[in-house]
Amino acid sequence: MSCRWVTCALITVLLALGCGGGSELPGPAVVTFPISALGAEGRVLVRQLARFMKENPGIKVVQRVTPDGADQKHQLYVQWLNAGASDPDILQLDVIWTPEFAAAGWILPLNQFQPDTAAFFPSTIAANRWQDSLYALPWFADVGMLYWRTDLMKQPPATFDELVQQAQRVRQKGGPRYGFVWQGARYEGLITTFLEYLGAYGGRILEGGRVVVNSEAGLRALTEMRDEIYRHGVVPTTALTWHEEETRFAFQNGEAAFMRNWPYAFPLMEDSAESRVAGKFAVAPMPAGPGGTHTAAIGGAQLAINRRTEYPEAAWAVIDYLTQPEQMRERAEVVGQFPTRTALYDDPELASGLAIPPATVRRIIEYSVPRPVTPIYTQLSEILQINLHRALTRQAEPAAALARAQAEMQRVLNRAGLGTGEPVARR
Amino acid sequence: MERQEARAAWALVLPAALTILLVALFPLVWTVWESLHLHDLRMPWLGKPFVGLDNYVEALGDPRFWAALGHTAFFAVTSVGLELLIGLWLALALNRAFRGRGLVRAAVLVPWAIPTVVSALLWRFMFEGQTGIVNSVLVGLGVLKEPLVWFIHPAGAWVPVILADVWKTTPFVALLLLAGLQNIDASLYEAARIDGASAWRQFRHVTLPLLKPAILVALIFRTLDAFRVFDLIYALTGGGPGTSTEPIALYTFNALLQNLQFGYGSALSVIVFLITFSLAILYIKLLGAELTGGKR
Repeated sequence: MSCRWVTCALITVLLALGCGGGSELPGPAVVTFPISALGAEGRVLVRQLARFMKENPGIKVVQRVTPDGADQKHQLYVQWLNAGASDPDILQLDVIWTPEFAAAGWILPLNQFQPDTAAFFPSTIAANRWQDSLYALPWFADVGMLYWRTDLMKQPPATFDELVQQAQRVRQKGGPRYGFVWQGARYEGLITTFLEYLGAYGGRILEGGRVVVNSEAGLRALTEMRDEIYRHGVVPTTALTWHEEETRFAFQNGEAAFMRNWPYAFPLMEDSAESRVAGKFAVAPMPAGPGGTHTAAIGGAQLAINRRTEYPEAAWAVIDYLTQPEQMRERAEVVGQFPTRTALYDDPELASGLAIPPATVRRIIEYSVPRPVTPIYTQLSEILQINLHRALTRQAEPAAALARAQAEMQRVLNRAGLGTGEPVARR
Repeated sequence: MERQEARAAWALVLPAALTILLVALFPLVWTVWESLHLHDLRMPWLGKPFVGLDNYVEALGDPRFWAALGHTAFFAVTSVGLELLIGLWLALALNRAFRGRGLVRAAVLVPWAIPTVVSALLWRFMFEGQTGIVNSVLVGLGVLKEPLVWFIHPAGAWVPVILADVWKTTPFVALLLLAGLQNIDASLYEAARIDGASAWRQFRHVTLPLLKPAILVALIFRTLDAFRVFDLIYALTGGGPGTSTEPIALYTFNALLQNLQFGYGSALSVIVFLITFSLAILYIKLLGAELTGGKR
């Protein structure tokens, strides 16, 4: 391997020497694309990029391997971009990073390329806007969904009250020992769970520059989460240490009647070698409460362009290609990732490719809302995580926890010059 | 002649001094400089203005900072206290002559040899969930009526944290103390026995006073380590539930590397440095006095 590298390097040097004035010839535009796709996802991408390069001989796409963990990837990106590096040219962003990178001036506004934003789900576009410009294009969408057991009940619950009743009834009949499992550990996943409860009661976290989480709806949502644990005994206390995978293991071992999770869990749990619930579950939107509607937190991957890139046009060509319906359909078929283009859900071919009926997926995506779109999202999220977790582990009352979260988040926003809320004094 | 020697001495010391300057002093000065600025990588539009001691004022006014400091002190006192007691007992046992002593001495070191993150995960699995081994045993023995979810209790979460640290570092303390024990002249015990001293009196009046330097060394290493505890808690509880097991190093890490608040995080680092530095000075004074027989 290393021998081959040395040979390659030598040839490159010799060519460079031999060519001499060759730099006048326009060589291919080389764009680098850091990617952490594993397994089938990685193979689809390699295939699509190969097709792209065949159709566009003037552009060469170089893949670069990056860490899989979101936090590590974020740190790496920040190091590169903060240092003003011109590559990588294309960035795969988590949905909550777009405003941060846009406000820092690290990524290019995409309006100049006139992307067809109307073709995408509005919530996926909203999450990628900052100050009236679009900074990234949604590649695929992740949404929070309610997994329910089709062998234990006929209908998924439409409200949290129904969910609690069904879970209790199922358990009385000797069903699974857990009613409902969700991601309750103190991390980003807790915010997405909370966001779905919050939306169910009609609340929001942030409105412009004002933190509004400490509202009637916020209080009802957090109280409902807490009651499901301690009053109704539907959510196990262990779930307060759980991430996505722990909830999936509980559900696929047949230990839970309901689960909140992302789409990735679906194909994995359909594998009967691994899962005891293969063929016995379906997905629905998360329940609604009074005053609100079904809500799905939105995640997924976005594609953006490094502001310092030498080849903005070439980078855009790659992004444009990867987000075409054809490529999205292929990803949906092979990896099960949800396309972000609305029209694809009317395409009969998608139905045969996706494990979940496209109509259900579409309905859930239409209920989706982005997490607060602000450059300092991670900081706000940390404050909220801590206070939610304190309330859920009964170290604080919901009302006090929300009041404290709101005051601290507003203070951070104001300090960043992004706040329009009342400056709230520290307790 | 003498001046020439002095110059040669300086020349010989210079590379070492420069290296220390470069690797120790420079980052320190840089951190202090950063800590006097508002420097937030997430908010480049704020620039990097000089803000004097604002970051320190903010830290000292932050309840989370004081809580983290309290957690760190609690962790240091509890874990180091237990480690010293158990370590001393282990060292005394290992100091006796018995068959297979060499093997036992080596075996004792196994927990110390395991990387902290690995042992943290080990303890996490033992305490986790309703079916972890700890819950099974305690429920089986009738100590608990029903499984306890340790990691969601502000007090309960400390149990695996302290146990994991004691389990891991007691061997280190025991080894240091064992070395101290072996330095004690056996004839002192002989003389004590001839004078009719009981085992307890021998321990109290011969072993303990002569072991004091070794105890102090163990104490220095362990408290300083405990004060900077990070990896163990990061992997075991992540500082939760809420922030009830968050030590100061984890809070600093979050500010610096998670939230990219370089100014504020640097101020926290400087505060941690000042605390550990004064602890070190204090210990060195004590130890120095001890080694020179109390005369300075």
